[in-house]
Amino acid sequence: MSQFIAATGFGIVNAGIFALAAVGFTLQFSVTNVLNIGFGAIMSLAAFVAYDLNVVVGANIWLALAIAAVASGVLSVLINRGIIQPFLKRGTSFFGMVVITIALDLIVEYAVEAIWGPTFLHYNVAAGTPVTLGSLTFTHFQLVAIGISVVGMIGIHLLLKRTKLGKAMRATSCDARLSKVCGIRTSRIHDAGWFLSGTLAGVAGVILGLTLGTFSFTVGDQYLIVIIAATMLGGIGQAYGAMLGAVVIGLVTQWSSLVISGGYSEVVAFVILIAVLLVRPTGIISGVAADRNMAA
Amino acid sequence: MSNSDIYLLTTLLVYTGVAMIASWGLDLQIGETNVLNFGFILFEAIGAYVTAILSLGPDTANGGVQQYVFGAALPFPVPWLVATAAGAVLGLFMGLLTLRRLRGDYEAVVMLVMALVAFYAVSADTSLLNGSEGLSLIPAPFQGLVGGGPNTSMTYRWVYVAVVAFVCLLAFFVVRRITSAPLGRALRAVRENDAVAMSLGKDAVRLRILVQVVGGALGALAGAMLVQWVGAWAPGSWTYPETFTLFAAIIVGGRANASGVALGAIIVPGIILEGVIFLPSIGPSYLTPALQWVLIGVLIIGFMWFRPQGIIPERRRRFPALALPGGVEQSGAIQLVDVEPRRS
Repeated sequence: MSQFIAATGFGIVNAGIFALAAVGFTLQFSVTNVLNIGFGAIMSLAAFVAYDLNVVVGANIWLALAIAAVASGVLSVLINRGIIQPFLKRGTSFFGMVVITIALDLIVEYAVEAIWGPTFLHYNVAAGTPVTLGSLTFTHFQLVAIGISVVGMIGIHLLLKRTKLGKAMRATSCDARLSKVCGIRTSRIHDAGWFLSGTLAGVAGVILGLTLGTFSFTVGDQYLIVIIAATMLGGIGQAYGAMLGAVVIGLVTQWSSLVISGGYSEVVAFVILIAVLLVRPTGIISGVAADRNMAA
Repeated sequence: MSNSDIYLLTTLLVYTGVAMIASWGLDLQIGETNVLNFGFILFEAIGAYVTAILSLGPDTANGGVQQYVFGAALPFPVPWLVATAAGAVLGLFMGLLTLRRLRGDYEAVVMLVMALVAFYAVSADTSLLNGSEGLSLIPAPFQGLVGGGPNTSMTYRWVYVAVVAFVCLLAFFVVRRITSAPLGRALRAVRENDAVAMSLGKDAVRLRILVQVVGGALGALAGAMLVQWVGAWAPGSWTYPETFTLFAAIIVGGRANASGVALGAIIVPGIILEGVIFLPSIGPSYLTPALQWVLIGVLIIGFMWFRPQGIIPERRRRFPALALPGGVEQSGAIQLVDVEPRRS
């Protein structure tokens, strides 16, 4: 039983990190209709920028996180303006865009390796005292990670449901042309979508680095596939679906390590994903996938 | 040429030939039929593993240093043939699982995920294929005929290059035969618009599964040839970004054109990835591979922007106009129908 509780604790921490990244990934897809594989590389880049700020410059880790996150957001907007939009204007197909974001992923990820090298790094932070909640024990950073994730999810919820920008984002996601006709400046909404997703990628990347302890340049791409799995499990383009998918993937991968070797936890996550997609190709929450005719 | 130059050159040639065959297989899928197989590297993996266990002999050999299932020592070219068949069966399995129900990006992601599932499962289970350590000491084929192995005889290395070149030639004719036949037209019809193709009586699902099978066989054959040259094979040899090297080759060379894809395979996996072995190394050891990947990314984006059709574009195909039903000859100026290949 105690093992089960410990696994649940780890599962919750992972779910929190996955949720931040998965919501960023999925929002960006729903608003801009680009499946951005480069997302993982942005996570890695943010983790390393925060490393330079934290270790080389000597900034507080939370300040480093904030700066790295905003920088990732700005970089994402620049990528959107400089590369993605020109290709979209030219009418490049959906798959052409996927190939381009894969290329971006390669460029950013390996530029990070070229600059920082392939070694494992760790932030300059004090470990802090472990906190015990009931029979669950968390490290200081795990608790902060969960906290940031919860605040982030509530923030996204309020943004989507209570603000004009959120409404415009949802409208653009539903029907970009119609939104334009209604006077929504969709190019700005696209920028906002890229900024938001880039920022979330940055936050998730730095927190991943913090909770893992040590990380290398592949950290983002290592987790990108799980994040995509969480996104698709929940139903792509659905912010709440991504949260749900992240919780399922986070918990199941940890629970499975109780029954079979931990080496199989990714296998379990992916087999669940394949099974769900085969039974219900649109994911658990189907809206966007069904609208865009992505599964028969 | 000194022996070390021959050593490097033959390696470059074998790698290029292997990448060429795999690229043709992938191009049948993404170039001709628009089946976005992001997990293509899995075919190379199965081909390599099948060849390895069919040539290593039982796993008690070599002092039992590695574990694997069903070891046998079959003579060349049996392992390659069985590997090719295994790739076809895997393609059929992947096709039946994904191509019947899923469309577009889901299909691509599920194939990617299948490659990952296999990667993690093979890495985790040491009794299946020796886990993440992988298999080594895989014997080189036809050593007895040449009188020497890849590390002792330069003649052997040239003979291996010649065998790879011969298989490349064979694969080229197979691919050209498929793409220039009516079957190829049907594949491209599915690519351009599967609803229209189906309305004309073409079974789009069957055709997509077919390219999955043929492409899978070619990918596995490439893996088979690679593994007996390298002598070792581990999960690290087939991580999922490897598929994108082949994507880059196809985009740079020219999709849906076998000559273009061959040129792309010479440029990307050949010259850019392997050609650096001839250059003096600069900086720390990780720098060159990192910059190679950056360069591949830049090449993909550059080609997608400036020349999305690739260096050698898809052929513009001309077909004689069909006679009208009832024996009425079509009159007038239009005797040939131009078919413009789709851009990007």
